Formats: sequence, structure tokens, C-alpha cells
Amino acid sequence: MSLFRGMDTSASALTANRLRLDTIAANIANANSTRAQLVDGVWQPYRRKIVEIAPKTNQTFDHLLGAAIGMVSGAKPEQGVRVQAIREDNTPFKRVYHPEHPDADQAGYVLMPNVDIMKEMVDMISASRSYEANVTALNASKSMMMKALEINGR
Amino acid sequence: MIQTDHLRLLERSLDVSTLRQRVIANNIANVDTPHFKSKRVAFEEMLRQEMGQTTSQLRAYRTDQRHLSFGPIGSIPEPRITSNPNAMVQHNENDVDLEYEMNRMAENQIWYNGLVQLTGGYFTKLSSVINGGGK
Repeated sequence: MSLFRGMDTSASALTANRLRLDTIAANIANANSTRAQLVDGVWQPYRRKIVEIAPKTNQTFDHLLGAAIGMVSGAKPEQGVRVQAIREDNTPFKRVYHPEHPDADQAGYVLMPNVDIMKEMVDMISASRSYEANVTALNASKSMMMKALEINGR
Repeated sequence: MIQTDHLRLLERSLDVSTLRQRVIANNIANVDTPHFKSKRVAFEEMLRQEMGQTTSQLRAYRTDQRHLSFGPIGSIPEPRITSNPNAMVQHNENDVDLEYEMNRMAENQIWYNGLVQLTGGYFTKLSSVINGGGK
């Protein structure tokens, strides 16, 4: 039944938005991490992570079969989103003067992560609102399915 | 008495409503996806056009008035998924309007519930005919 697919669509978006929220949480948590990875004996600060999402392409079995035998009616929606990659933000690190810091260079400057808390907060609100919208869509699909069961009632 | 066309129309309308729910769910799911273009389901306008045509293309030849009439098969159009031509595109080439989609979803849900009630009523009437209105 095709309404189940509607629920799958919303579920894929819930997963994607949950991952976005997790990534943002990791960015905020590491906003001050100066020792994320060791490159050539030098500690590199944390790099901000970005989730890349794309529409899920129609590669399901029934779609491919329908296309192969030429019975596609053109009325097949796409099926949600998928996470394509978690990319690293390549903007330069912030350079902060902090001579007492153990990771400071000769001139007393420390490289800090390229995490901008404001940006993260805005992204977080956007992701959580998307999550809520998808929950609403999921509930709508669900209540339509429950309603369909009433056709035979009484 | 039993109009099969009526039931077929209800069935197709329920299908379209289901499809529309899926398309709206997909639009909402892709609200943050770059380069995504929102979709619409076109059906009612096509149906109205089809209903407006008095002569159907397929007509059975009846030699007796008591023969069952051969319904105009194919007069109920297939729904089509189209893109929204005059949508406002955002900075990331995405044109999903969340408020509009939520509105359409609420509307579609009420529409669907109404169709379910009509379908239920159809079967209630049918069983009342079968039972002779006795029970």
C-alpha cells in the first residue's frame, strides 16, 4: 500500500534531520577543541562538520521493473531524502592570541576550531523545525491509514 | 441501482488523495535539500474536463434496452505529478514553501476523510439493499 511509502519518506527525513542535529551538537561540543587530530606531530583543531543531503532517487525494485517493461505512468513520487556525505568545513581556523595556552605557537597565537556558535544555533533551529514538520506529515499519513480502515466499519 | 462508476470514481479519488499525501510528505522531507523542486498532483482539473465532455470516446452498442450499459471506461483520468512553475526559489535553489505544503496536507486529510465516509456510505447502502432493508 502506497501510504506506507509516504511514512517511509517522512521517516527518512526524520533520520536525516536527527543526523543534522547530532552533527550540530558535535560542532558545538567541540567549539573549543584544539586537539582534534595529530598531523605531523602538530595538533590540529577541530573542523566544523556539515551534513550534505540529497533527494533519494527512485531505485526501488518496482520502479525499475515498471520502467523496464514500460509501464511507468509518470505518477511516482520520489521517496524522501538521504544523507550523501558528512563534509568538513574548509574555512580557515580562528587565530587567537593566548600565550599561556599549551598549544600556542612561538608568537603566542593558538588556532581555534572554525565553529561559529551563532551559525550552529541557526542551523539547529532549522533542523529541529524540519524534524517537527516531518513528524506532522508522518502523523497525517498515519491517521489517513487509520481512517481507511473505517471504510468497512458498521 | 448499483453504479459501478461511482465506486470507481471514489476509489480513484482515494488513490489520488493517497498519492498527494505522499508527494506532500516528500516535499516536506526535502525542505532543506539543495536544488530540490517541489511537486504537485494534478487530478481534479483533468477530471472536471473529462466530466464536462458529454460524449465519451468508448461506447458499447446495445441491441436491447435491458442490456447493461457499458460504462465509459477510461473517462476517469490518471493523476499526474507536475512541478510548480511559479514557485519562489530560495537561495539554495529549493522552492518548497512549508506553509503551503502544511496547508495542502491539512486540506488533503479532510478531503480523504470525507471520501472515506462517502465510500463507507456506499457500502452501507449496498448492504441495506442486499438485506432488503430488514436489519
